[in-house]
Amino acid sequence: MHSRQVTEHPVLFILPALGLMLLVALYPLAATSWLSLRDEFPIFHISRFVGLSHYVTLWHDPRFWQSLTNTGYFAVVSVASEVLLGLGAALLLHQLFPARGLVRALVLMPWFIPTVVAARAWEWIYHPHIGVLNFLLLQSGLTTTEINWLGHPFLALHAAIIADVWKTMPFATLLLLAGLQTIPSDLYRAARVDGATGLQAFWHITLPWLIPVLSVTVVFRMLDALRVFDIVYVLTGGGPANTTETLSIYAYRLSFQTLEFGYGAALAVVTFVIILFASLLLQFLLRRVGTTT
Amino acid sequence: MVVLRLTRQRLLPSPACVLLALSLLVGHLGCHPAPPEDKSLRLVFKHPRLLSHEEPLQALLNQFRAAHPALQLDEEILPSSSDQQHLFYVTNLEAGATDFDVFALDVIWIPEFARAGWLQDVTAMLGSAELTDSIPGPVTAATHAGRIYAIPWFLDGGVLYYRRDLLDKYGLTLPHTWSEVRTAIQVVLQHEANPRLTGFVWQGKQYEGLVCVALEFLRAYGGDVFTDQGEVQLTQPTAVAGLQALRSLIADHLSPTVVTTADEEIAQHIFGRGEAIFMRNWPYAWRLLNAQDSPVRGRIGVTAIPGSNAHVGVPTLGGWHLGINRLSRQPELAWQFVAFLTSAESQRQLAIASGLQPTHLSVYADPQVQQADPSLLLFFPLLQRAQPRPVTPFYLMLSQVLQSEFSAAITGLKSAEVALQDAERQMTRILALEQKETTRALTTGD
Repeated sequence: MHSRQVTEHPVLFILPALGLMLLVALYPLAATSWLSLRDEFPIFHISRFVGLSHYVTLWHDPRFWQSLTNTGYFAVVSVASEVLLGLGAALLLHQLFPARGLVRALVLMPWFIPTVVAARAWEWIYHPHIGVLNFLLLQSGLTTTEINWLGHPFLALHAAIIADVWKTMPFATLLLLAGLQTIPSDLYRAARVDGATGLQAFWHITLPWLIPVLSVTVVFRMLDALRVFDIVYVLTGGGPANTTETLSIYAYRLSFQTLEFGYGAALAVVTFVIILFASLLLQFLLRRVGTTT
Repeated sequence: MVVLRLTRQRLLPSPACVLLALSLLVGHLGCHPAPPEDKSLRLVFKHPRLLSHEEPLQALLNQFRAAHPALQLDEEILPSSSDQQHLFYVTNLEAGATDFDVFALDVIWIPEFARAGWLQDVTAMLGSAELTDSIPGPVTAATHAGRIYAIPWFLDGGVLYYRRDLLDKYGLTLPHTWSEVRTAIQVVLQHEANPRLTGFVWQGKQYEGLVCVALEFLRAYGGDVFTDQGEVQLTQPTAVAGLQALRSLIADHLSPTVVTTADEEIAQHIFGRGEAIFMRNWPYAWRLLNAQDSPVRGRIGVTAIPGSNAHVGVPTLGGWHLGINRLSRQPELAWQFVAFLTSAESQRQLAIASGLQPTHLSVYADPQVQQADPSLLLFFPLLQRAQPRPVTPFYLMLSQVLQSEFSAAITGLKSAEVALQDAERQMTRILALEQKETTRALTTGD
C-alpha cells in the first residue's frame, strides 16, 4: 500500500494530544508533588512549606510499609493468577466449538460489572453467616465451622485477591485471545507435519508469539493492581487491623478522612513512583524474555 | 493520574440515592415555591438524610416557613456516607463557604470544627433552663475550650438487646456486669439444642463502630482513652482489662468470630434471626426487630450497657447536633432556626413521628409521647449515662489509630496490652502536634 508522506507540520498534529496529556496527567501530578512538600492541615489553619519532611516521616511510618507489603503481595498474586487463568481460558475459547461466540461473551461478564457492585456481591458470598461460600463448604462437609473470610487476618487479603481475579481475569482472557488469533495457522500445520505434540506446539509456537501480548497484559494489570482501591475498600475497608490496607486506601484515608492533605499527597507521589518503576522494570524484563525466546 | 484517582468519589448508587436525586429534580422543575422578592433573606440548611422518612422534618420546616413569610428556607441534602459528609463540610468551610447557614453535625466532628473556627459559639442559646432540661452527654460533646459550639438535636447511644424468652426460660436475671453476661451465655448455650445459636454479637469490624464498643468495655472496667487532664491513659491496667474482656468473648466462643467483620447491620441480622442471645446496638434496631415479620418480635428486651463489679456501665454517645456556619450571612435567622428545630416541641414531634431520641428531658415526661411510642421511654433510662468519645479536635486521627489497634486485639493479632501500648505511642505523637501548634501560635502571635 502506498501512503503519502506528511512531513510538513508533524508537531501541529501532536499538539492537541500533548496539550491534553499536560492538562489531565502532568498538571495534577505536578500539583500533587507540590502539595506533598507542604503541610496542609485545614483544621489547624496550617499551610506552610515543609520540604521533604513528609517523605522522611513516610520512611519511618510502619503503616506505610505494611500497606506497601499488602499492595505488593496483592498485585503479584492476583496478576499472576489472572494471567495464568486468563491464558488457560483464552486457549479454550480459541478452540472451535458450538456457540463459541456466546461463551466468549459470557466469559466477559464479570468485566462488565462495576467493581463496587462486584465487591458488594462478593461481600455477600463471603458472609460468614449467610454467605453462599460457607453454605457450600458446610453442605459438602469440607468444613464443620463457619469461616470468617473477611475477618481473619490471613484470609481477608486472599479473599480480596480471589474477588479481584474473578473480576479482571476476563480482561486478560480478551487480550490473550486476540493475541492467539494473530498466530498464523500455517505454523501449527507445519508443526503437525513435523510430528510435534500439542505441548511442543504450545511451547515453541504459541508462547513465543504471545509474548508481546502477554507483556502488555501483565503491565496493564500490574498498573491496575498496584493502585487497587475499590474492591478491597468495599470488601474489608482495610481491616482487620490494617492487614488489607493498600497504598491507595491509606492515601485515601490520609487525604479524605483525617484530612492530612500534604502527607496524603506525599504518599500518592510515592505510590506513583513505585508504579512507574514497577512498570518500567516489568517491560524491561518481558522484553528480555521476548528476545531470548 | 494519581490525583484523579484520589478525587474520584465512590458513591454506592443505592435506590434511595436515585430516588432522592429524582425527587430533587422534580422539586426543582415543578412545585418549587417562587423565591420571595427579598433574595437576601435566604437560609440554607445542610444535612444528610437522618430520618427514615421525610414528612416529619418537612412539617417542621414548613412551620418555620409559615412563621417567617419573607424567608426562603432551603434544605440541601448530603450523601449518606459519613466520610463524604465530613469531607464536604471541611472543604467548604475551609474555603470560607457562605452558601449554607445551618448544618447537621455528627457528634464526633464538633470539637474539630470548633477548633478550626468554623462554628458559631452558641453557648448563649443554652440558658440555664435549657441546660437543666438537657441530657448532659450531648452538651459535653459539643463543648470545646469551655464554650458550646452546637446544639443537641437528637440522642443516640449503645444499648444491650437480649432474648427475654431465653433468659426467662433459665431463670436468669438481667445482667448488670459483663461477667454476668458471660455466665448467662454459658448457661443458655449449654442447654439450648440449636447449633446456630451464638452468645453475644456486636460491632467488631475495623470502623468507627468498633471504637464505640471497645470504649464501652474500657469504661466498664474503669479505663478510658484520656484522663480528666487530657493525658493518654490507654496502658493503665483498667483499660487493658477492658480490652481483654472484649477479646476473651471471641477466644472463649461466647461471641462468634463473625463479629470481627460485623457492623450494625450484620449484628442485627444475626440477632434478628434469633441466632444470638445478646446484641450490642443502637436504639434504631428496636423498631426493626419488632416489625411484623421479625422472627424475634415480642421475644426481646433491651437493657443498659453493663459495667463491672466496681464500675457502672457507660454507653457510648452518638447522635446529631445542629451548628451555625460562622460566616453565615443570616446569623440572626440561623440562630432562630436552630433554636426552633432543637426545641422541646420540635423534638417531641420528631420523636413521635420517627422514633428519634430527644435530648430534652421534658419530652420524655410528655404523656403524648409516652402514648405514641412507649419504646422512647424504654431507652431513656439506658442512655442517660451515655458519654461521648474523646472530645478533641484530633478525634478523627485518634479514631484511625484506635480502630486498627482494637481490631488487632480482638482478632488476636496482638495482645490487648501490646495493642494499647502501640495505640498510646501513636496517639502521643499526634497530640504532640497540638502542643507544637499552640506554641507556634503563641510565639508568632498568630
